[in-house]
Amino acid sequence: MALVINWCLMTKTRRSLFYRLVVRVALVLFVGAAVLITAAWFYAKAAADEAYDRLLQGAAIQILDGLSVEDGRIGINLPPAAFELLGQAPRDRIFYRVVLPDGLTLTGYDDLAPSVDLTPARSGPVFFSEDYRNVPLRIGIVGRAISEAAAGGWAYVLVGQTTEARKEFVTELTTRALVIVLIMSALALAGTALAIRYSLRPVNQLGDMLLRRDPQDLTPLSVAVPGELSPFVDSINHFMRRLDERVRLLQRFIADSAHQIRTPLTALSAQVSLIHEDALSDNDRRHLERVKDRAGELAHFTGQLLNHAMVIHRFDSAQLGPLDVTEIARKAFRAAVPITIDPDTVVSFEGPDETLIVLGDGLSLREAIVNIIDNSLRHGTRFKLDVRVLKRGNFALVEVEDDGPGIPPADWGQVTKRFVSSKSGSGSSGLGFAIASEVAIALRGGLSFREKTPEKGFTVVLELPLHAEMTS
Amino acid sequence: MLKKPLLFAALVLLSPVHASAIEGEKTVFQSPGAEKSRLVINGVTDADAIKPLILDFQQLAPDVTVEFNDYVSNDLFREAERACSTGQNYGDLLISSSADQLVKLANDGCAIPHSSAETDALASWANWRNEVFGFVFEPAVIVYDASRVPQADVPRSHADIADLLRRKPEDYRNRIGTYNIQLSGVGYLLAFHDALQAPTIYGRLLESFSRAEVVTGCCNNEVLDQIASGRLRIAYNILGSYAYAAFLKNPNLRVVIPRDYALILPRAALIPVKSQQTDLARRFIDYLLSSRGKTVAREKAFFLSEDDPLPEGVEGPASLIESGIGRPIRIGPALLAAQDRATRERFIRNWTALFTALDP
Repeated sequence: MALVINWCLMTKTRRSLFYRLVVRVALVLFVGAAVLITAAWFYAKAAADEAYDRLLQGAAIQILDGLSVEDGRIGINLPPAAFELLGQAPRDRIFYRVVLPDGLTLTGYDDLAPSVDLTPARSGPVFFSEDYRNVPLRIGIVGRAISEAAAGGWAYVLVGQTTEARKEFVTELTTRALVIVLIMSALALAGTALAIRYSLRPVNQLGDMLLRRDPQDLTPLSVAVPGELSPFVDSINHFMRRLDERVRLLQRFIADSAHQIRTPLTALSAQVSLIHEDALSDNDRRHLERVKDRAGELAHFTGQLLNHAMVIHRFDSAQLGPLDVTEIARKAFRAAVPITIDPDTVVSFEGPDETLIVLGDGLSLREAIVNIIDNSLRHGTRFKLDVRVLKRGNFALVEVEDDGPGIPPADWGQVTKRFVSSKSGSGSSGLGFAIASEVAIALRGGLSFREKTPEKGFTVVLELPLHAEMTS
Repeated sequence: MLKKPLLFAALVLLSPVHASAIEGEKTVFQSPGAEKSRLVINGVTDADAIKPLILDFQQLAPDVTVEFNDYVSNDLFREAERACSTGQNYGDLLISSSADQLVKLANDGCAIPHSSAETDALASWANWRNEVFGFVFEPAVIVYDASRVPQADVPRSHADIADLLRRKPEDYRNRIGTYNIQLSGVGYLLAFHDALQAPTIYGRLLESFSRAEVVTGCCNNEVLDQIASGRLRIAYNILGSYAYAAFLKNPNLRVVIPRDYALILPRAALIPVKSQQTDLARRFIDYLLSSRGKTVAREKAFFLSEDDPLPEGVEGPASLIESGIGRPIRIGPALLAAQDRATRERFIRNWTALFTALDP
């Protein structure tokens, strides 16, 4: 019980494993996605620069090819194809400058990157970014040596283009990557959540199992759990073993105590019976009667305590076997109804035509039925007690009906507990119903009550499942 | 307002050929309703040609007065460039057949972008950066005077003209007219693309022209007037709309679309950065690109378009684009090559050299 309460407290005060795992995985995924998207952005930017720089280079080379030397002067015939090529970036503006070997601008935009050093372009195309007319521009330079005596030297072509298409390209690629990464992350997160749920299922099952477990059941848990959980289960089992030992010790102590008490109690009863009643005053005699009553009650309880200890002990050790319920009930009936019963009381036993077989321990079952009948005789029966054995569905029922006031439904839950008496009833029911109930539960049956009606009296019903062989 | 015609007059005096007095004129189309705003359009288009469009636009916007200033293309470009670099206002909308000049203006950051359902519907080659829009596409055609050119002599392709001039040099000396590419941006654009489309044939054609002492004019109407007056017999690279308008006035002026290839020239519009009435300019562009505007343009203003059947009286293929004859000049960065300073100078120098070398 304490374990269950602790468990509940833990789940309430601390975040669930699922939540913690999902949060951590989501965090990792988020960081991963951010890194991936940043990488995608860099990659897209590099790809855009590479792709569009080639356009710049191609256009610049075409323009260079348009250079020709006529009459010792360099002239140019700008090929529209060069601009057509740059038109692959359909929205971008184009600026260019053709620089002659003497450093003068032949044509184009004179103020395009005027201070840039052109000589590196001799070994290959050079690309750089620069603002021109307040617009960011990507500029490519290519150079060509012109071998003409008069105008020889290196001529350069600078081609600049605004960066709208590049940006669009980068945005598009990055957006696609973003979508893919987000979808993947969402899938990963969903998958993780499912996996965590799946992995944590044994924990829930274990919890359910512990919750469903009969409080009396202190046997070790026999459940297949993942390796990570086995230390947990082991420690539960270890704990239960220790608890079980304690409980056994306690039970043995109680049984021993009862046994120890019985001997002096018998002596006490004998001593009391030896008291010469005639010599006593009326007052003393009344006191003696009370002492006798109390001693009898004490003997009864002690007997019940011993029975209880016996029943529990038997379920721990005895093997269950098939039993004829009617047979057991009849024996119990005989044992419980004393020979000295008030002759005005009508008692009856009614058995079924067929043999009803249940799995159980004969002694315990008999003890259970004896206790019910005994309880009825002590607290209920006025003139009539009926004991019936009958079959309903897959169950064998042992019904004990009396014409007494019965137990109010509000107390039904209480009376099966040890040493709890019906509030309205006189005296304590002691251990009677507790023993019957424990036996019933141990045999997978139950103890229930049926209210008094004008036709029928208050009935206690012991319900036991029929043996499988029989039901089939 | 008087400055520009004066400036233009000065230019006309300096230029080797005589310019028509119609061009460079300011025409005001008073709003049909009470005037609330005024849209200034600087264009390279006869006011007569664009008039139906402006009047129809005013049906939709009755409170707008439209002022239309007609320029020679090079003047328009020079003024627009100067206004852009000095940050001055130069009209609210520019319209020109010299698409290369407008593309250059846009490339230099002199345009305001405009995007609407109409502009989005344009083909990619008729819209650059949402700044230069092509709204009318007309073929460059050959016009001849049927009363003076025998049927056997009628040229039906570029090569035909060269052959004709070789066969009958005397008959057609001084009788052929075309653009002066030095003065006309449209003429330059057409010549530049002729040289790109068919370099060999164009080379032959130029050579024949120079031998036949071709007469050059600044503008379509100047050349067409000279045909009408009987001085010229054949005109080359005339814009279809002017040619067809001339045919309507004088049925002797026949229009032929060359059957080897025909350049299709877009009329383009651009909103300059310092436009005072950008919203009106946008509305006018959307109107030009709308189906209503296109219908008016085809039926009343420019008559020919790239994807409609040719009107009655024009000789040519049923469909310009499908037949593969029509070669649209695409509005895009490739036009920047035509506007390159050195390339242009060289092209014009070569052209002029060929003409002046043989001029008497």
